[in-house]
Amino acid sequence: MKDRYQGYVFVSPGVLLFVLVLGFPVITTLFNSFCPVWSAGIAKFTLQNYAKVTQDWVPRKVLGNTLVFVSCTVLLHFLLGLTVASALDTEVRGKRVFRVLAILPWAVPDSIAGLIWRFLYDPLHGSVNKILLTLHLIETPIEWLSNPALSLMSVIFADVWRGYPFVMIILLAGLQSIPPELYEAAEVDGASPVQRYLRITLPQLKTMIIIALALDTVWQFRMFGLVYTLTGGGPGRQTETLPLLVYKQYFNYFNFEYAAAVAVTSAVMMLMLSLPYLWIMLRRE
Amino acid sequence: MRLEKKRGKRLGFVVLLIIAVYNLSPLVWMFLNSFKSDAEIQQYPPTWWPEQPTVSAYHEIWTEGNFIAYFTNSAVVATTTTICSAFIGLLAGYGFSRFGFRGRGLLLTLFLASQMLPGVLLVGPYFKVLAFTGLYDTRVGLIIALTTITLPFSTWMLKGYIDSIPKELDEAALIDGCSRWGALFRAVLPSVAPGLVATIIYAFLLAWGDLLWALCLTTTDSMYTIPVALARLVGEFRIQWAQIMAGASIALIPPLIIYAFLTRLLVRGLTAGSVK
Repeated sequence: MKDRYQGYVFVSPGVLLFVLVLGFPVITTLFNSFCPVWSAGIAKFTLQNYAKVTQDWVPRKVLGNTLVFVSCTVLLHFLLGLTVASALDTEVRGKRVFRVLAILPWAVPDSIAGLIWRFLYDPLHGSVNKILLTLHLIETPIEWLSNPALSLMSVIFADVWRGYPFVMIILLAGLQSIPPELYEAAEVDGASPVQRYLRITLPQLKTMIIIALALDTVWQFRMFGLVYTLTGGGPGRQTETLPLLVYKQYFNYFNFEYAAAVAVTSAVMMLMLSLPYLWIMLRRE
Repeated sequence: MRLEKKRGKRLGFVVLLIIAVYNLSPLVWMFLNSFKSDAEIQQYPPTWWPEQPTVSAYHEIWTEGNFIAYFTNSAVVATTTTICSAFIGLLAGYGFSRFGFRGRGLLLTLFLASQMLPGVLLVGPYFKVLAFTGLYDTRVGLIIALTTITLPFSTWMLKGYIDSIPKELDEAALIDGCSRWGALFRAVLPSVAPGLVATIIYAFLLAWGDLLWALCLTTTDSMYTIPVALARLVGEFRIQWAQIMAGASIALIPPLIIYAFLTRLLVRGLTAGSVK
């Protein structure tokens, strides 16, 4: 009986912060997004901001950018992460050194990674053009970030460098928890390496793959620092994603209610995308 | 079969070698360029190695601007956030793991789901709260925000670890005359060390690298953290790349030290804790 109250005591500092710093802003944002008009002490709600979100070309363009950015980065993170995790799971020479190096880009904060890649992409002073020119793959320097046709792709490739190690770590953890007996049995039965990979490795990895993909999707969806320092959303709105749109509307143009509507729309999308992850974690609990 | 395995190993080695070069080269380029003079970095075509290596970029960034203040802000904010997040997360993790109380399931679900919220949804109203309470443009306001957004991860990670420790351990400590707090800090804490390490790494890296919150919650130059200061340098008309690369190199020292020492623990921590 006394124990129950002690439970509250232990969780109360965390819950207090949670309610004040997360709960309050969420409710305020939700409230504001419906553009309340006060009359005689009663709030009247309208959907005009949400109508603007669905009808304007800007949020549509930005949503399109976000979807391209998220789907390309998550797919490339996964492919690269799975390849590297599989290579690290073998008895390869220098495994420890390779493991440290494979995780390295994840130690770089996304905002700093954006700066580094902005310099790498610099048409005159950056190394990307320098390498391509030296190898005679291109004749003249390419404007990676200011050419509207290339900019989003350039942002995606910079993000792949910094983001795939996280997916790799989760998949590696999954690979290492597969019991070796399964492979031995398959080998005795004469299964080829490809068959073993498709029939044992991938099915055993299923949960980890879902967790990695769901978490990565959410993180890419709300990526702010890398895009902000790399392009700031430009040229034009070519690389602007939803978090940047909300930030600009709120802090540069002070359209609080419109920013709130965009933020709520993207939060709803993110929560839906993260349902598989939430389901797995809560079922375990 | 033998041959096949050998070939697989060789392929793995080649893949890892390519990946190592890919992962390292941007950082090497950053590091090399931080030792170029302003004139050399403006040269076309660019040089691979600094022809006249100089530390002038480091010298300028430390002495001419406010970089010492930025570094101090980053260090204070990241360290305090890490300590607060780990401590409050430990308490909450213990509470959720060991006690059944009303609203426990709901709170756990909310904690987990909140990790999926975009920061931009929260930062606007939080900014208004800080402006109202006079904590806008202070380290305290930033620390409270970053502690809270890292808290759900800390709580879930540590709860996962505490769940795996038998309850009998606490009970033995309670019978020996410890209070609940004593049981937590004497009996449970030593066994959750790997989870604590993972929490510390996560919170520190997030707070150290955060741009969004620091950008929105500070306004005076002397309150900027390193990411904010560097992001503003890039916005200037003539970008001083050598200085920015020097600043980025300095900014990477703490996270890289943490990684060099704790990679193994991190892999183990992530495996055993949140994602089992």
